Amino acid sequence: MIDKILNSIKNIPAFPETVQRLMALLNRDDYSVRDLAAVVRYDQAITANILRIANAAYFGLREKVKSIEQALALLGRQNLIRTIQTAGVSRVFRATSGQGYVSTGSELWQHSVAVALMSQILSRRIRGEEDTVLYTAALLHDVGKMVLGEYVQDAMTGILELVTGRGYTFLEAEEEILGINHAEIGGRIAEKWNYPEEIRDAIRYHHRPDLLSETIPVPWFVYLSDQFTSMMGVDGGVDGLAYRGLEQVIPMFQLREKDLETCFILLLQDMERAKDVMNIV
Amino acid sequence: MGDLVVGISDVKVTGRPEDVLVTYALGSCIAVAIYDPAAKVGGLLHYMLPDSTLDPEKAAQNPAMFADTGIPLLFKSCYKLGAEKRRIVVRAAGGASILDDTNFFRIGQKNIMAMRKIFWKNNVMIENEDTGGNFNRTVRLHLLNGRAFVKTAGGCIKEL
Repeated sequence: MIDKILNSIKNIPAFPETVQRLMALLNRDDYSVRDLAAVVRYDQAITANILRIANAAYFGLREKVKSIEQALALLGRQNLIRTIQTAGVSRVFRATSGQGYVSTGSELWQHSVAVALMSQILSRRIRGEEDTVLYTAALLHDVGKMVLGEYVQDAMTGILELVTGRGYTFLEAEEEILGINHAEIGGRIAEKWNYPEEIRDAIRYHHRPDLLSETIPVPWFVYLSDQFTSMMGVDGGVDGLAYRGLEQVIPMFQLREKDLETCFILLLQDMERAKDVMNIV
Repeated sequence: MGDLVVGISDVKVTGRPEDVLVTYALGSCIAVAIYDPAAKVGGLLHYMLPDSTLDPEKAAQNPAMFADTGIPLLFKSCYKLGAEKRRIVVRAAGGASILDDTNFFRIGQKNIMAMRKIFWKNNVMIENEDTGGNFNRTVRLHLLNGRAFVKTAGGCIKEL
């Protein structure tokens, strides 16, 4: 079974090359709008997505941008990275039906965007800054569900039996029955798409950041963002809330119950401001 | 037949028998469905948080966000359409939690307790309740006959 699942990773679409080339440019300090525009110009799908995303109220541009050059020039570097990643990942999510976990691929996309928005809310609140690496990791955290979905669907009865009858988390039930979980597969997909180790690990450990030998913030932030967003109801599918609360995250980030409640309110606002982004898939 | 979708932190009421009020994505949030069988008026609230003292300004803008401001709004809106308190049937669903949350955030439990307290204080019985657990729910209220249904993430549907 596990060989068959790992083999399916090969069938996942390639990550848009345009996005990888744009990111390489943006990682240099001296990137120019002209260079970016030269890369993006020949990819109409990505251009259209970038324009649509850049015009979402979430990014706070004062005027509506009509050309890709304008979008590239007016968005700051951080917003540009978030926009470009969102445009690229949305292309890949569009290709999935999301079967197994959700009834339509757009549900999984909306959950992914909501977790990415929540990650920035939490990062601002706890560290006083936004973080584009964290945003990208959060956006991709459930990408493994694209591959594991069909296997989960076939094994659903057995998985739900373990979850509802025997106190397994959904992750543990996936491992027990399928031999691998969606987080591990997500890590491998991110590897295939050449994402850096920091992002791969955050995806791979997004339900169990406590298993990482070193305490690094990004996986914990993704974990917490996913939990908060799912608790609010914007969840990643049939697995719902069948995951354990890792209580050490509370002293680690000095959280209080009120923080969770305030984050719900902030996410509701950001989801409204990012409505066009959430509806892109 | 029209499906009227109630969003997160949202409330809708209606007296049209062809309407179905529906709310999706109930995690730790709670849906309160009320129905007056004589007036054939019903309403559905999807609140997110237990207590409006967290953010009174937000509560003024959007009372449906909190239990203590949303539930009164739900009832008053139904009274306007001819419903009467003594006839209203109350059902509720939601308030899910993650596993092992003893020392984690217990927002689902807080939402359940806030609702029960409000109804108890106001001498209103909750006819039926499907709360807790660690799965998300969808709630539908049919105005035609006042029947309400809960669907859980696994696809199982039961009458509320």
